Amino acid sequence: MRRQKEGSQSHLNTEGINTKFLYLMHIHDSAFPIGTYTHSFGMETFIQEDLIRTKGDLFHFCQMYLHENVAYTDGIFVKESYQEEELAELIRLEKICDASKNAEETREASSMIGKQFVKAVLPVSDTPSLEEWYQLLQEKKVIAHFPIVYSLYAKDLAFDLYTTVLTFLYSSTIGLVHNAVRAIPLGQKAGIEVIHRLIPEMEKATVNVLNRDLSNLSNHAVGLELASMQHKYLSSRLFIS
Amino acid sequence: MDGKLDFYFALRKQKTIMKDVYYQPPLKASRGLYVDNPNDITVYLMESSGGLVAGDTNAYSVLLDKGTHVTLHPQAATKVYPAYNGNPSRQQVQIELGEQASLTWKREEVIPFAESEFHSHTTVNMKKNSRFYWEEILYPGREKRGERFTFDKCHTQLEVWMEDDCLVYDSLRFEPSHQDVKHFGVMGDYYYIASVWLIDKEIELDVEKWNHSSADHQISITRLRDAGYLVRFLSNDLPRIKKEMDQLGNQKLAVSV
Repeated sequence: MRRQKEGSQSHLNTEGINTKFLYLMHIHDSAFPIGTYTHSFGMETFIQEDLIRTKGDLFHFCQMYLHENVAYTDGIFVKESYQEEELAELIRLEKICDASKNAEETREASSMIGKQFVKAVLPVSDTPSLEEWYQLLQEKKVIAHFPIVYSLYAKDLAFDLYTTVLTFLYSSTIGLVHNAVRAIPLGQKAGIEVIHRLIPEMEKATVNVLNRDLSNLSNHAVGLELASMQHKYLSSRLFIS
Repeated sequence: MDGKLDFYFALRKQKTIMKDVYYQPPLKASRGLYVDNPNDITVYLMESSGGLVAGDTNAYSVLLDKGTHVTLHPQAATKVYPAYNGNPSRQQVQIELGEQASLTWKREEVIPFAESEFHSHTTVNMKKNSRFYWEEILYPGREKRGERFTFDKCHTQLEVWMEDDCLVYDSLRFEPSHQDVKHFGVMGDYYYIASVWLIDKEIELDVEKWNHSSADHQISITRLRDAGYLVRFLSNDLPRIKKEMDQLGNQKLAVSV
């Protein structure tokens, strides 16, 4: 009897996790209103300079973005905030996250998306950490950068660290591909092909992130940083950043 | 060798003086000079060994009392020799700025030779009304010998805290054998990275002027959240970087006077 009960519980647990995965899929839907479709994080500058023209260029750009940028910056913030239990330390971590984003547009984009994310998921989710963060946001004690609030949400929903980092990297990269397909422009098929080629790269980048900590943060993708700084001076723009 | 240079600047009758200095070779300080005006003391930072050899550490500590104005001027670029024994070379800088104090650290140039490993960490603690200006240039190696990103590792980190707020947290970690350094999102065809940090709540720059791009020289500017600007360069034109850095230095003077 007891065994039967345990068995049925574990079945329920699995079902629970699988259903929960749908929540995660939902927030990665391109129609989910957190505004990622309005940000290119500097990519638009390169598109206008004709440096990203083909699906091959786009793949190499996103590969660089993943390995040389996100896996040395936001990926690490996702991991570190997932593992941080002390609220004061988490607030300090977000201050470092904010200060490490030199380019104003990229810094603003990260906090705009983060705020939109909190406002979108909070009314429909049971996420105590995010609830607490939202209180702090209203008191202007935090900024709600996307990697931090994403991590809090995924942890509250009991996703493991690997899944949390992997899906964050997925979200960061996929948004760029969708935007590039519109801005270059490329066909939908090219976009799908690029995303499929990027998925194994996301896995590699996640493994790298899990082996890194704050001491590994790096802004060495300086070309991207300058492109982001120059973005506001472009004569015509499709994206906010 | 472990070099050490500790400064304490204070006011005497409204004039900034070098009240205390302690040094341990190969680091040494010049006398205090009053170049631009009597309120601003300039000190040259000297290094007698000719460069950092694997395992060497140079540590600087700089303390500015309330109301002091100081310019520190590295006399030569920091040359980093190969880490044959597997030990990296290090530089540590710790800066404390009192109320209304200002510190300018002129052009910190780093040349990491082939197979070298260098780690530098600069930490600044400042007040809301103090000011900090930092210039740095990172070379790709001894380019006249054809060394371009042939070092093993070069990590530099600058962090600036204004009481509890983090204003700057900029790490550049280059490990060329593991990174796609040639991609245009990283270095592209450029060899030098240069940065000018102007941490000053009152400074206003003409941002259009510091934002242009050509095949061998790019410069762009961004506002930091709470105070001042970062001006960053990617370039193959070293004389032009230095010229524009000097122009930025003059702008800073024009604003702060």
